[in-house]
Amino acid sequence: DSHIQYERVGADVTMKCGSMDWDAAVTWTVNGTDIDESHLNGSYLILKNVDLSQSGQYSCYEGSSWHLKYQTYLRVGTPPKEPVLMCRSNNYPKGFYCSWHLPTPTYIPNFFNISVIHGTKDMVCEKDAIPKNRCHIRYLQLFSTVKYKVTLTVTNALGKNFTTVTFDEFAIVKPDPPESVVAKPVPNNPRRLEVSWQNPSSWPDPESFPLKFFLRYRPLILDQWQHVELSDGTSHTITDAYAGKEYIIQVAAKDNDIGTWSDWSVAVHATPWTEEPKHLTTEAQITETTSASTSSFMAPPTTKICDKGAVVGSGAVAVCWTAGLVVAAYSVLFI
Amino acid sequence: MAAADSPSTALRRRDLCSRGIRLAGKMRADVVDLLDAYVEQQGLDASASVVAVEGVPQAAVERWDEQTGTQRLLENLAAYRAFRALLAQMLEEQREQLGEANVGLGRALAAVLLQVSAFAYHLEELLQLESRGIPGEEEDGLPALPHLSLFEQKLRGLGVLRELAQWAVRSVRDLRQLAKPSPATGTVPGLAESP
Repeated sequence: DSHIQYERVGADVTMKCGSMDWDAAVTWTVNGTDIDESHLNGSYLILKNVDLSQSGQYSCYEGSSWHLKYQTYLRVGTPPKEPVLMCRSNNYPKGFYCSWHLPTPTYIPNFFNISVIHGTKDMVCEKDAIPKNRCHIRYLQLFSTVKYKVTLTVTNALGKNFTTVTFDEFAIVKPDPPESVVAKPVPNNPRRLEVSWQNPSSWPDPESFPLKFFLRYRPLILDQWQHVELSDGTSHTITDAYAGKEYIIQVAAKDNDIGTWSDWSVAVHATPWTEEPKHLTTEAQITETTSASTSSFMAPPTTKICDKGAVVGSGAVAVCWTAGLVVAAYSVLFI
Repeated sequence: MAAADSPSTALRRRDLCSRGIRLAGKMRADVVDLLDAYVEQQGLDASASVVAVEGVPQAAVERWDEQTGTQRLLENLAAYRAFRALLAQMLEEQREQLGEANVGLGRALAAVLLQVSAFAYHLEELLQLESRGIPGEEEDGLPALPHLSLFEQKLRGLGVLRELAQWAVRSVRDLRQLAKPSPATGTVPGLAESP
Protein backbone atom coordinates (compact mmCIF):
# COMPACT_ATOMS: atom_id res chain seq x y z
CA ASP A 1 0.00 0.00 0.00
CA SER A 2 1.24 3.45 -0.76
CA HIS A 3 -0.24 6.49 0.91
CA ILE A 4 0.63 9.90 2.34
CA GLN A 5 1.32 10.41 5.99
CA TYR A 6 1.40 13.88 7.54
CA GLU A 7 3.32 14.55 10.74
CA ARG A 8 4.12 17.66 12.73
CA VAL A 9 7.63 19.04 12.98
CA GLY A 10 9.12 17.71 16.23
CA ALA A 11 6.84 14.68 16.44
CA ASP A 12 8.06 11.12 17.03
CA VAL A 13 6.96 8.86 14.19
CA THR A 14 6.69 5.06 14.22
CA MET A 15 6.17 3.26 10.92
CA LYS A 16 5.05 -0.34 10.77
CA CYS A 17 6.05 -2.50 7.86
CA GLY A 18 2.51 -3.24 6.76
CA SER A 19 1.32 -6.56 8.22
CA MET A 20 4.84 -7.86 8.96
CA ASP A 21 5.46 -9.12 12.50
CA TRP A 22 7.54 -7.04 14.83
CA ASP A 23 10.39 -9.54 14.74
CA ALA A 24 10.42 -9.93 10.94
CA ALA A 25 13.63 -9.11 9.13
CA VAL A 26 13.05 -6.01 7.00
CA THR A 27 14.93 -3.24 5.28
CA TRP A 28 13.69 0.35 5.25
CA THR A 29 14.68 2.89 2.66
CA VAL A 30 14.00 6.58 2.29
CA ASN A 31 13.96 7.93 -1.28
CA GLY A 32 15.76 4.73 -2.35
CA THR A 33 18.54 4.94 0.24
CA ASP A 34 18.85 2.31 2.97
CA ILE A 35 18.09 3.49 6.47
CA ASP A 36 20.54 2.52 9.18
CA GLU A 37 19.38 -0.23 11.55
CA SER A 38 19.84 2.08 14.54
CA HIS A 39 16.52 3.65 13.61
CA LEU A 40 14.73 0.30 13.81
CA ASN A 41 12.89 -1.26 16.69
CA GLY A 42 12.30 -4.75 15.39
CA SER A 43 10.65 -4.18 12.05
CA TYR A 44 9.33 -0.77 13.08
CA LEU A 45 11.00 2.34 11.85
CA ILE A 46 11.36 4.96 14.61
CA LEU A 47 11.93 8.60 13.67
CA LYS A 48 12.31 10.88 16.64
CA ASN A 49 11.71 14.63 16.60
CA VAL A 50 11.18 14.76 12.84
CA ASP A 51 12.18 17.81 10.84
CA LEU A 52 11.34 19.04 7.36
CA SER A 53 14.33 17.33 5.75
CA GLN A 54 12.90 13.95 6.70
CA SER A 55 9.98 14.30 4.31
CA GLY A 56 10.22 11.66 1.59
CA GLN A 57 9.17 8.27 0.37
CA TYR A 58 9.66 5.52 2.93
CA SER A 59 9.62 1.90 1.78
CA CYS A 60 9.84 -1.35 3.68
CA TYR A 61 11.12 -4.56 2.06
CA GLU A 62 10.97 -8.12 3.38
CA GLY A 63 14.45 -9.18 4.41
CA SER A 64 15.26 -12.08 2.14
CA SER A 65 12.88 -11.69 -0.76
CA TRP A 66 13.05 -7.89 -1.12
CA HIS A 67 9.38 -7.83 -1.69
CA LEU A 68 7.95 -4.39 -1.10
CA LYS A 69 5.70 -4.72 1.91
CA TYR A 70 4.81 -1.14 2.70
CA GLN A 71 5.32 2.31 1.25
CA THR A 72 4.35 5.73 2.47
CA TYR A 73 5.11 9.31 1.60
CA LEU A 74 5.96 11.19 4.78
CA ARG A 75 5.18 14.91 4.70
CA VAL A 76 6.49 16.81 7.69
CA GLY A 77 4.80 20.12 8.31
CA THR A 78 2.93 22.32 10.76
CA PRO A 79 -0.70 23.15 11.46
CA PRO A 80 -1.76 26.53 10.03
CA LYS A 81 -1.31 29.72 12.03
CA GLU A 82 -4.02 32.38 11.96
CA PRO A 83 -4.24 33.50 8.33
CA VAL A 84 -3.92 37.12 7.25
CA LEU A 85 -7.05 38.34 5.45
CA MET A 86 -7.58 41.63 3.63
CA CYS A 87 -10.63 42.92 1.76
CA ARG A 88 -10.63 45.92 -0.55
CA SER A 89 -12.74 47.60 -3.16
CA ASN A 90 -10.61 48.98 -6.00
CA ASN A 91 -13.53 48.92 -8.44
CA TYR A 92 -16.29 50.65 -6.48
CA PRO A 93 -19.24 50.47 -6.86
CA LYS A 94 -18.99 47.11 -8.65
CA GLY A 95 -17.75 45.02 -5.75
CA PHE A 96 -14.78 44.08 -3.64
CA TYR A 97 -12.19 41.35 -3.32
CA CYS A 98 -10.62 39.54 -0.41
CA SER A 99 -7.15 38.09 -0.45
CA TRP A 100 -5.27 36.07 2.12
CA HIS A 101 -2.04 34.34 2.99
CA LEU A 102 -0.48 32.41 5.82
CA PRO A 103 2.09 34.25 7.92
CA THR A 104 4.39 31.21 7.90
CA PRO A 105 4.44 28.23 5.52
CA THR A 106 3.09 24.87 6.67
CA TYR A 107 5.01 22.83 4.06
CA ILE A 108 1.95 20.68 3.44
CA PRO A 109 -1.19 21.35 1.37
CA ASN A 110 -3.71 23.82 2.84
CA PHE A 111 -7.36 24.32 1.99
CA PHE A 112 -9.10 27.66 2.35
CA ASN A 113 -12.77 28.33 2.80
CA ILE A 114 -14.23 31.83 2.88
CA SER A 115 -17.66 32.95 4.00
CA VAL A 116 -19.14 36.42 3.57
CA ILE A 117 -22.19 37.57 5.49
CA HIS A 118 -23.98 40.86 5.02
CA GLY A 119 -26.50 41.21 7.81
CA THR A 120 -28.31 37.90 7.66
CA LYS A 121 -27.51 37.23 4.02
CA ASP A 122 -24.82 34.78 2.93
CA MET A 123 -22.90 35.96 -0.11
CA VAL A 124 -20.80 33.93 -2.51
CA CYS A 125 -17.19 34.99 -2.94
CA GLU A 126 -16.10 33.72 -6.34
CA LYS A 127 -12.57 32.42 -6.40
CA ASP A 128 -10.17 34.05 -8.83
CA ALA A 129 -8.14 31.78 -11.10
CA ILE A 130 -5.12 34.03 -10.63
CA PRO A 131 -4.06 34.64 -7.99
CA LYS A 132 -5.34 31.57 -6.22
CA ASN A 133 -5.61 33.18 -2.80
CA ARG A 134 -8.25 35.68 -3.80
CA CYS A 135 -11.99 35.86 -4.39
CA HIS A 136 -14.36 38.62 -5.42
CA ILE A 137 -17.92 39.67 -4.63
CA ARG A 138 -20.36 41.85 -6.50
CA TYR A 139 -22.23 44.38 -4.39
CA LEU A 140 -25.92 43.56 -4.29
CA GLN A 141 -26.68 46.74 -2.38
CA LEU A 142 -25.02 50.12 -2.17
CA PHE A 143 -25.01 52.67 0.66
CA SER A 144 -25.77 50.06 3.30
CA THR A 145 -24.97 50.75 6.96
CA VAL A 146 -24.93 47.02 7.65
CA LYS A 147 -21.42 45.70 8.04
CA TYR A 148 -19.87 42.86 6.07
CA LYS A 149 -18.37 39.96 8.00
CA VAL A 150 -15.81 37.79 6.23
CA THR A 151 -14.44 34.64 7.80
CA LEU A 152 -11.55 32.69 6.32
CA THR A 153 -10.87 29.15 7.56
CA VAL A 154 -7.68 27.34 6.65
CA THR A 155 -7.38 23.59 7.15
CA ASN A 156 -4.61 21.07 6.61
CA ALA A 157 -3.97 17.52 7.74
CA LEU A 158 -2.44 18.74 10.99
CA GLY A 159 -4.94 21.34 12.11
CA LYS A 160 -7.18 24.29 11.41
CA ASN A 161 -7.32 28.02 12.02
CA PHE A 162 -9.43 31.00 11.04
CA THR A 163 -9.73 34.75 11.07
CA THR A 164 -12.62 37.20 10.72
CA VAL A 165 -12.74 40.77 9.47
CA THR A 166 -15.73 43.09 9.71
CA PHE A 167 -16.06 46.30 7.73
CA ASP A 168 -18.35 48.94 6.26
CA GLU A 169 -18.95 49.25 2.55
CA PHE A 170 -17.19 52.62 2.46
CA ALA A 171 -14.20 51.79 4.63
CA ILE A 172 -12.56 49.33 2.23
CA VAL A 173 -12.75 51.53 -0.87
CA LYS A 174 -9.18 52.09 -2.05
CA PRO A 175 -8.46 52.70 -5.73
CA ASP A 176 -5.39 51.42 -7.53
CA PRO A 177 -2.70 54.07 -8.12
CA PRO A 178 -3.04 56.44 -11.08
CA GLU A 179 -1.55 55.17 -14.34
CA SER A 180 0.60 56.56 -17.11
CA VAL A 181 2.11 59.34 -15.03
CA VAL A 182 4.13 61.65 -17.28
CA ALA A 183 6.20 64.67 -16.28
CA LYS A 184 7.64 67.07 -18.86
CA PRO A 185 9.58 70.31 -18.74
CA VAL A 186 7.82 73.43 -19.99
CA PRO A 187 9.80 75.18 -22.77
CA ASN A 188 11.28 78.52 -21.74
CA ASN A 189 10.14 78.02 -18.13
CA PRO A 190 13.01 77.00 -15.88
CA ARG A 191 10.80 76.50 -12.80
CA ARG A 192 7.90 74.52 -14.24
CA LEU A 193 7.08 70.90 -14.79
CA GLU A 194 3.90 69.67 -16.40
CA VAL A 195 2.53 66.47 -14.86
CA SER A 196 -0.32 64.38 -16.26
CA TRP A 197 -1.78 60.98 -15.41
CA GLN A 198 -4.77 58.75 -15.98
CA ASN A 199 -7.42 57.24 -13.74
CA PRO A 200 -6.59 53.66 -12.78
CA SER A 201 -8.10 51.35 -15.39
CA SER A 202 -9.68 49.22 -12.64
CA TRP A 203 -11.94 52.13 -11.54
CA PRO A 204 -15.08 51.44 -13.55
CA ASP A 205 -16.94 54.77 -13.64
CA PRO A 206 -14.83 57.84 -12.92
CA GLU A 207 -17.54 60.14 -14.26
CA SER A 208 -20.12 59.09 -11.67
CA PHE A 209 -17.56 58.26 -9.00
CA PRO A 210 -14.84 60.83 -9.58
CA LEU A 211 -11.43 60.49 -8.02
CA LYS A 212 -9.38 63.18 -6.38
CA PHE A 213 -5.59 63.12 -6.48
CA PHE A 214 -2.58 63.84 -4.32
CA LEU A 215 0.64 64.76 -6.03
CA ARG A 216 4.02 64.74 -4.32
CA TYR A 217 7.33 65.93 -5.72
CA ARG A 218 10.85 66.71 -4.61
CA PRO A 219 14.26 67.30 -6.15
CA LEU A 220 16.41 64.19 -5.95
CA ILE A 221 18.92 66.02 -3.81
CA LEU A 222 16.39 66.76 -1.05
CA ASP A 223 14.40 64.46 1.23
CA GLN A 224 11.36 66.61 1.86
CA TRP A 225 8.31 66.25 -0.39
CA GLN A 226 6.01 68.99 -1.55
CA HIS A 227 2.34 68.00 -1.67
CA VAL A 228 -0.61 69.19 -3.71
CA GLU A 229 -4.18 67.92 -3.42
CA LEU A 230 -6.27 68.19 -6.59
CA SER A 231 -10.02 67.79 -6.51
CA ASP A 232 -10.47 67.39 -10.25
CA GLY A 233 -8.56 66.99 -13.47
CA THR A 234 -5.72 64.64 -14.29
CA SER A 235 -2.93 67.13 -14.77
CA HIS A 236 -1.06 69.76 -12.81
CA THR A 237 1.74 72.23 -13.44
CA ILE A 238 4.43 72.51 -10.80
CA THR A 239 5.53 76.15 -10.75
CA ASP A 240 8.11 76.23 -7.98
CA ALA A 241 10.67 73.70 -9.14
CA TYR A 242 14.33 74.47 -8.58
CA ALA A 243 15.89 75.36 -11.90
CA GLY A 244 18.05 72.66 -13.40
CA LYS A 245 17.34 70.06 -10.70
CA GLU A 246 16.03 66.61 -11.44
CA TYR A 247 12.71 65.89 -9.75
CA ILE A 248 10.95 62.75 -8.65
CA ILE A 249 7.13 62.86 -8.86
CA GLN A 250 4.33 60.52 -7.73
CA VAL A 251 0.54 60.62 -7.68
CA ALA A 252 -2.09 58.89 -5.50
CA ALA A 253 -5.88 58.67 -5.93
CA LYS A 254 -8.94 58.50 -3.69
CA ASP A 255 -12.67 58.42 -4.27
CA ASN A 256 -13.93 61.98 -3.88
CA ASP A 257 -16.25 61.07 -1.01
CA ILE A 258 -15.32 57.79 0.68
CA GLY A 259 -12.52 55.35 1.46
CA THR A 260 -8.77 55.76 1.62
CA TRP A 261 -5.90 56.90 -0.58
CA SER A 262 -4.34 54.54 -3.06
CA ASP A 263 -0.69 53.57 -2.91
CA TRP A 264 1.66 55.98 -4.68
CA SER A 265 2.04 55.60 -8.42
CA VAL A 266 5.24 54.52 -10.09
CA ALA A 267 7.71 57.41 -9.71
CA VAL A 268 8.65 59.52 -12.72
CA HIS A 269 11.64 61.80 -13.11
CA ALA A 270 11.90 65.11 -14.90
CA THR A 271 14.12 68.17 -14.98
CA PRO A 272 12.79 71.67 -15.72
CA TRP A 273 13.80 73.37 -18.96
CA THR A 274 17.14 75.11 -18.93
CA GLU A 275 18.65 77.56 -21.43
CA GLU A 276 21.35 76.02 -23.65
CA PRO A 277 24.87 76.97 -22.41
CA LYS A 278 26.79 79.23 -24.97
CA HIS A 279 29.93 76.99 -25.17
CA LEU A 280 27.95 74.29 -26.79
CA THR A 281 27.55 76.33 -30.01
CA THR A 282 28.54 74.85 -33.41
CA GLU A 283 31.98 74.99 -35.12
CA ALA A 284 30.85 77.65 -37.64
CA GLN A 285 29.79 79.88 -34.78
CA ILE A 286 33.22 79.42 -33.12
CA THR A 287 34.95 80.54 -36.38
CA GLU A 288 32.77 83.60 -36.62
CA THR A 289 33.31 84.43 -32.96
CA THR A 290 37.11 84.11 -33.21
CA SER A 291 37.48 86.43 -36.25
CA ALA A 292 35.19 89.03 -34.71
CA SER A 293 37.06 89.47 -31.41
CA THR A 294 40.46 88.81 -29.79
CA SER A 295 39.91 85.43 -28.36
CA SER A 296 41.88 84.09 -25.42
CA PHE A 297 41.63 80.39 -26.34
CA MET A 298 43.51 78.34 -28.85
CA ALA A 299 41.95 78.22 -32.29
CA PRO A 300 41.29 74.69 -33.52
CA PRO A 301 43.80 73.39 -36.09
CA THR A 302 41.42 73.78 -39.03
CA THR A 303 40.79 77.43 -38.32
CA LYS A 304 42.55 79.72 -40.80
CA ILE A 305 44.10 82.87 -39.54
CA CYS A 306 45.57 83.99 -42.84
CA ASP A 307 45.20 83.42 -46.59
CA LYS A 308 47.55 81.12 -48.34
CA GLY A 309 48.88 83.89 -50.55
CA ALA A 310 50.02 85.97 -47.57
CA VAL A 311 52.35 83.33 -46.18
CA VAL A 312 56.07 84.09 -45.98
CA GLY A 313 58.64 81.37 -45.51
CA SER A 314 57.96 77.66 -45.41
CA GLY A 315 57.71 74.61 -43.16
CA ALA A 316 57.52 75.04 -39.39
CA VAL A 317 58.28 78.74 -39.45
CA ALA A 318 55.86 79.73 -42.17
CA VAL A 319 54.03 82.84 -41.09
CA CYS A 320 51.69 85.22 -42.89
CA TRP A 321 51.99 88.96 -43.08
CA THR A 322 49.13 89.72 -40.71
CA ALA A 323 50.37 87.31 -38.07
CA GLY A 324 53.79 88.80 -38.40
CA LEU A 325 52.47 92.33 -37.86
CA VAL A 326 50.62 91.22 -34.69
CA VAL A 327 53.71 89.55 -33.28
CA ALA A 328 55.79 92.62 -34.09
CA ALA A 329 53.27 94.87 -32.34
CA TYR A 330 53.34 92.76 -29.14
CA SER A 331 57.15 92.67 -29.25
CA VAL A 332 57.27 96.46 -29.30
CA LEU A 333 54.94 96.59 -26.26
CA PHE A 334 57.15 94.40 -24.18
CA ILE A 335 60.53 95.93 -24.97
CA MET B 1 -42.62 61.37 -23.76
CA ALA B 2 -41.21 64.45 -22.21
CA ALA B 3 -39.77 66.97 -24.63
CA ALA B 4 -36.02 67.30 -25.00
CA ASP B 5 -34.45 69.80 -22.59
CA SER B 6 -34.06 73.39 -23.59
CA PRO B 7 -30.51 74.66 -23.10
CA SER B 8 -31.67 76.84 -20.20
CA THR B 9 -33.32 73.88 -18.48
CA ALA B 10 -30.23 71.78 -18.90
CA LEU B 11 -28.10 74.59 -17.53
CA ARG B 12 -30.44 75.17 -14.58
CA ARG B 13 -30.45 71.46 -13.81
CA ARG B 14 -26.70 71.29 -13.87
CA ASP B 15 -26.50 74.31 -11.63
CA LEU B 16 -29.02 72.85 -9.16
CA CYS B 17 -27.19 69.52 -9.17
CA SER B 18 -23.82 71.20 -8.53
CA ARG B 19 -25.22 73.21 -5.64
CA GLY B 20 -27.00 70.15 -4.33
CA ILE B 21 -23.76 68.19 -4.42
CA ARG B 22 -22.05 70.89 -2.39
CA LEU B 23 -24.94 71.02 0.08
CA ALA B 24 -24.91 67.25 0.52
CA GLY B 25 -21.16 67.21 0.95
CA LYS B 26 -21.27 69.84 3.69
CA MET B 27 -24.23 68.09 5.30
CA ARG B 28 -22.37 64.81 5.37
CA ALA B 29 -19.32 66.35 7.02
CA ASP B 30 -21.52 67.93 9.71
CA VAL B 31 -23.48 64.72 10.26
CA VAL B 32 -20.26 62.76 10.74
CA ASP B 33 -19.09 65.29 13.35
CA LEU B 34 -22.51 65.20 15.00
CA LEU B 35 -22.43 61.40 15.06
CA ASP B 36 -19.12 61.43 16.92
CA ALA B 37 -20.41 63.94 19.45
CA TYR B 38 -23.70 62.08 19.84
CA VAL B 39 -22.00 58.74 20.50
CA GLU B 40 -19.73 60.28 23.09
CA GLN B 41 -22.31 62.32 24.91
CA GLN B 42 -24.98 59.66 24.93
CA GLY B 43 -22.48 57.10 26.26
CA LEU B 44 -22.91 54.74 23.33
CA ASP B 45 -20.52 52.28 21.71
CA ALA B 46 -19.62 53.62 18.25
CA SER B 47 -19.43 50.10 16.83
CA ALA B 48 -22.83 49.04 18.17
CA SER B 49 -25.09 47.51 15.53
CA VAL B 50 -28.47 49.14 15.30
CA VAL B 51 -31.36 47.20 13.88
CA ALA B 52 -33.35 49.03 11.21
CA VAL B 53 -36.06 51.03 12.93
CA GLU B 54 -39.42 51.66 11.39
CA GLY B 55 -39.68 55.14 9.98
CA VAL B 56 -35.92 55.64 9.49
CA PRO B 57 -35.23 55.71 5.73
CA GLN B 58 -32.61 53.15 4.75
CA ALA B 59 -30.05 54.41 2.26
CA ALA B 60 -29.26 50.87 1.12
CA VAL B 61 -30.56 50.22 -2.38
CA GLU B 62 -30.29 47.39 -4.89
CA ARG B 63 -29.58 48.07 -8.58
CA TRP B 64 -28.78 51.69 -7.83
CA ASP B 65 -27.26 52.18 -11.26
CA GLU B 66 -30.55 51.19 -12.94
CA GLN B 67 -32.65 53.83 -11.19
CA THR B 68 -34.25 56.53 -13.27
CA GLY B 69 -33.69 60.18 -12.51
CA THR B 70 -37.23 60.56 -11.22
CA GLN B 71 -36.86 57.61 -8.89
CA ARG B 72 -33.70 59.11 -7.50
CA LEU B 73 -35.32 62.47 -6.81
CA LEU B 74 -38.47 61.01 -5.30
CA GLU B 75 -36.61 58.60 -3.04
CA ASN B 76 -34.25 61.34 -1.90
CA LEU B 77 -37.11 63.71 -1.19
CA ALA B 78 -39.06 61.12 0.81
CA ALA B 79 -35.95 60.32 2.82
CA TYR B 80 -35.05 63.90 3.71
CA ARG B 81 -38.62 64.74 4.65
CA ALA B 82 -38.56 61.79 7.02
CA PHE B 83 -35.20 62.89 8.43
CA ARG B 84 -36.55 66.37 8.97
CA ALA B 85 -39.28 64.97 11.21
CA LEU B 86 -36.95 62.50 12.94
CA LEU B 87 -34.33 65.14 13.72
CA ALA B 88 -37.00 67.49 15.06
CA GLN B 89 -38.16 64.70 17.34
CA MET B 90 -34.60 63.97 18.45
CA LEU B 91 -34.08 67.64 19.23
CA GLU B 92 -37.17 67.69 21.41
CA GLU B 93 -36.22 64.49 23.21
CA GLN B 94 -32.71 65.77 23.76
CA ARG B 95 -34.01 69.00 25.28
CA GLU B 96 -36.33 67.03 27.57
CA GLN B 97 -33.61 64.64 28.66
CA LEU B 98 -30.74 67.00 29.14
CA GLY B 99 -32.37 70.43 29.33
CA GLU B 100 -29.69 73.05 29.12
CA ALA B 101 -26.94 70.60 30.01
CA ASN B 102 -25.95 69.86 26.47
CA VAL B 103 -26.38 73.02 24.49
CA GLY B 104 -23.60 72.07 22.06
CA LEU B 105 -25.27 68.85 20.97
CA GLY B 106 -28.59 70.64 20.65
CA ARG B 107 -27.07 73.32 18.45
CA ALA B 108 -25.36 70.75 16.25
CA LEU B 109 -28.63 68.84 15.86
CA ALA B 110 -30.46 72.04 14.98
CA ALA B 111 -27.81 72.96 12.40
CA VAL B 112 -28.10 69.59 10.70
CA LEU B 113 -31.90 69.84 10.80
CA LEU B 114 -31.63 73.15 8.97
CA GLN B 115 -29.41 71.64 6.29
CA VAL B 116 -31.75 68.68 5.87
CA SER B 117 -34.69 71.08 5.39
CA ALA B 118 -32.70 73.12 2.89
CA PHE B 119 -31.73 70.02 0.97
CA ALA B 120 -35.33 68.79 0.86
CA TYR B 121 -36.34 72.16 -0.58
CA HIS B 122 -33.53 71.89 -3.12
CA LEU B 123 -34.83 68.50 -4.22
CA GLU B 124 -38.29 69.98 -4.64
CA GLU B 125 -36.80 72.61 -6.96
CA LEU B 126 -35.17 69.89 -9.03
CA LEU B 127 -38.45 68.00 -9.28
CA GLN B 128 -40.25 71.15 -10.34
CA LEU B 129 -37.67 71.67 -13.06
CA GLU B 130 -38.50 68.26 -14.42
CA SER B 131 -42.18 69.32 -14.49
CA ARG B 132 -42.87 66.60 -12.00
CA GLY B 133 -45.48 67.18 -9.39
CA ILE B 134 -44.04 67.42 -5.93
CA PRO B 135 -45.58 64.69 -3.80
CA GLY B 136 -47.48 66.08 -0.84
CA GLU B 137 -46.16 65.43 2.61
CA GLU B 138 -48.06 62.99 4.75
CA GLU B 139 -50.10 65.03 7.20
CA ASP B 140 -49.77 62.55 10.01
CA GLY B 141 -45.93 62.76 9.92
CA LEU B 142 -44.08 59.82 11.44
CA PRO B 143 -45.87 56.57 12.08
CA ALA B 144 -46.87 56.29 15.71
CA LEU B 145 -44.03 54.62 17.56
CA PRO B 146 -44.35 52.65 20.74
CA HIS B 147 -43.00 54.42 23.74
CA LEU B 148 -39.28 53.91 23.79
CA SER B 149 -37.08 53.74 26.84
CA LEU B 150 -34.32 56.30 27.15
CA PHE B 151 -31.75 53.82 25.93
CA GLU B 152 -33.92 52.84 22.97
CA GLN B 153 -34.30 56.51 22.09
CA LYS B 154 -30.55 56.91 22.09
CA LEU B 155 -30.09 53.85 19.88
CA ARG B 156 -32.72 55.11 17.47
CA GLY B 157 -30.93 58.45 17.38
CA LEU B 158 -27.72 56.62 16.49
CA GLY B 159 -29.53 54.79 13.70
CA VAL B 160 -31.02 58.03 12.37
CA LEU B 161 -27.65 59.78 12.17
CA ARG B 162 -25.91 56.80 10.61
CA GLU B 163 -28.53 56.46 7.90
CA LEU B 164 -28.47 60.20 7.31
CA ALA B 165 -24.69 60.06 6.78
CA GLN B 166 -25.18 57.28 4.21
CA TRP B 167 -27.96 59.18 2.52
CA ALA B 168 -25.76 62.24 2.18
CA VAL B 169 -23.23 60.17 0.23
CA ARG B 170 -25.95 58.55 -1.84
CA SER B 171 -27.44 61.95 -2.64
CA VAL B 172 -24.11 63.18 -3.98
CA ARG B 173 -23.94 60.14 -6.24
CA ASP B 174 -27.58 60.53 -7.30
CA LEU B 175 -27.11 64.19 -8.19
CA ARG B 176 -24.00 63.38 -10.21
CA GLN B 177 -26.04 60.87 -12.19
CA LEU B 178 -28.74 63.48 -12.69
CA ALA B 179 -26.22 66.05 -13.87
CA LYS B 180 -24.89 63.74 -16.59
CA PRO B 181 -26.25 64.73 -20.00
CA SER B 182 -27.59 61.98 -22.21
CA PRO B 183 -25.26 61.68 -25.21
CA ALA B 184 -28.03 61.35 -27.86
CA THR B 185 -30.72 63.76 -26.81
CA GLY B 186 -28.93 66.04 -24.37
CA THR B 187 -31.50 65.13 -21.73
CA VAL B 188 -30.73 63.58 -18.39
CA PRO B 189 -30.87 59.80 -18.60
CA GLY B 190 -33.96 58.44 -16.96
CA LEU B 191 -35.90 61.69 -16.82
CA ALA B 192 -37.16 61.71 -20.41
CA GLU B 193 -39.89 59.19 -19.77
CA SER B 194 -43.61 58.92 -20.07
CA PRO B 195 -45.53 60.60 -17.25
